[in-house]
Amino acid sequence: MRAKTLRHLIVVGLIVLWELLPRAGLIPELFLPSLSSTLLAGWNEAAEYGHALAVTLYEVAVSMAFACGGGILLGAIVGSLPRPRLLIMPMVSSLYAVPLVILYPVFTVWLGIGSESKIAFASIYGFLPTMLATAAGIQTIDPQLLLAARSMGATLNQRLVRVIIPAAIPTVLSGLRVGGALVIVGVVVSEMLISSAGIGYLISRYRTILDSPHVFAGVLLVLFMAIAFNTAIRWIERKAAIWQTGMRAGQNAADEIGSGAMQPAT
Amino acid sequence: MQPLANVTPLKPPPRAGAIEVRNVGQVFRTRSQDVVALEDVSLDIKPGRFVVLVGPSGCGKSTLLMMMAGLRAQTSGTITINGAPIPQPDPDRVGVVFQEPSLFPWLTAEDNVEFPLALRGVAKAERRDKAQDMLKLVGLDGFGRRHPHELSGGMKQRVSIARGLVQDPPVLLMDEPFAALDEQTRMTMGDELLRIWATTGKTVVFVTHSLTEAVYLADEVIVMSPRPGRIVDHLQVPLPRPRTYEMLSGDAFGALRDRIWRHIRKSA
Repeated sequence: MRAKTLRHLIVVGLIVLWELLPRAGLIPELFLPSLSSTLLAGWNEAAEYGHALAVTLYEVAVSMAFACGGGILLGAIVGSLPRPRLLIMPMVSSLYAVPLVILYPVFTVWLGIGSESKIAFASIYGFLPTMLATAAGIQTIDPQLLLAARSMGATLNQRLVRVIIPAAIPTVLSGLRVGGALVIVGVVVSEMLISSAGIGYLISRYRTILDSPHVFAGVLLVLFMAIAFNTAIRWIERKAAIWQTGMRAGQNAADEIGSGAMQPAT
Repeated sequence: MQPLANVTPLKPPPRAGAIEVRNVGQVFRTRSQDVVALEDVSLDIKPGRFVVLVGPSGCGKSTLLMMMAGLRAQTSGTITINGAPIPQPDPDRVGVVFQEPSLFPWLTAEDNVEFPLALRGVAKAERRDKAQDMLKLVGLDGFGRRHPHELSGGMKQRVSIARGLVQDPPVLLMDEPFAALDEQTRMTMGDELLRIWATTGKTVVFVTHSLTEAVYLADEVIVMSPRPGRIVDHLQVPLPRPRTYEMLSGDAFGALRDRIWRHIRKSA
């Protein structure tokens, strides 16, 4: 409770500083425009930002579907069958060490500078951690639970629906958390590099004309997107009735991914 | 009209809980050689008996138990429960309790106990009633809403026993169920198990490493030798019931434990 209040105080403090420091002239407006001028810049160009947000959200949504759907599907196959695992896992693991962003120019050649190249890049970017986490989640299911289910007469289908899927949910969700965040990163970064629309494109265009308030307005939008995504994942986790022990297993996997053991090279 | 006594029943009356093991062998084939895990094991267990399998690690006692549960196929020989073979698990005839409680962590205690019934599509109300009865039987009345991580090791194993009994099978197979518990809990659970056994009249086959536990619980102790697993002794435990803590230090108890120990020492 106290930690929470403190956290809120820190956020409020940062917001106040954001407004006061540039206003007092301690930080030049070019480096950090004040919060009010950032919001005003965003408000004045609301239509432009709205359109850019729509483009970016569309790209994120489609990439998320590809990354998460594909990641869970392939992760489940790779996690439950040893032969594909032997074939695919070493490839995926070394692919994970490659800075995938080098592929983006290739995608623009293949797919053009529209949404397709962003979706392709972000999908692959978010797909890998989702797949790895799902595979790990399925592989780490306690075989004793499956044996117990079998002793109670569970059929293969029942074991899948009543044991394997619920047991894998925490790890899969932690994979979605990382994979989904990377999808947002992938979309925004690719928009900043080569594109003609989207928030990333706006940020980089306003940066070239040194219009800091408009740059920061874009940054703020990306920030809100990330926070909204995180809140949504938390909501799903609660809805999925994450139990204590499972939560811990999922948390460990998330920590492992977060601590750099499975960190992608950007 | 024909007198009822002359009508032949369609099925012979079930020999509730009888287990017959006939010349069972198990060979594990590895690339370099064949390992004989069990060799020519024959055994008759009468309904309602409490039978303990003991032996050193690797004597195949757990393997034998898994075969009785229909969880593993033997290489040769036959196993029948109530007169019929058991090619796959049949929760109507056999309940199994493992060393790990193997409870599903995302289900409450009562949902765990209901699980085998849910697999068969038993209606919710009936499931709940049976689960409550079972939890009461194992002394966990009022703990049904807890998740496994909110229960102690002994309580988890009680839930596991309740789950094994919920379909009212005549046979309960237990694979070192108390091995992971501390000494005190283990003693209490032994007494609890004997009480449950006395109330339900099940045939219990119990695998353990502990000689004291074996003699304390059993009507009969079956001693097995290490690879190839064979039955080297089959002894009756004539101690009266209920078993008490004082018996542990008695001469009769000591003599039985020594006899088992001599077999095991010889083979170890």
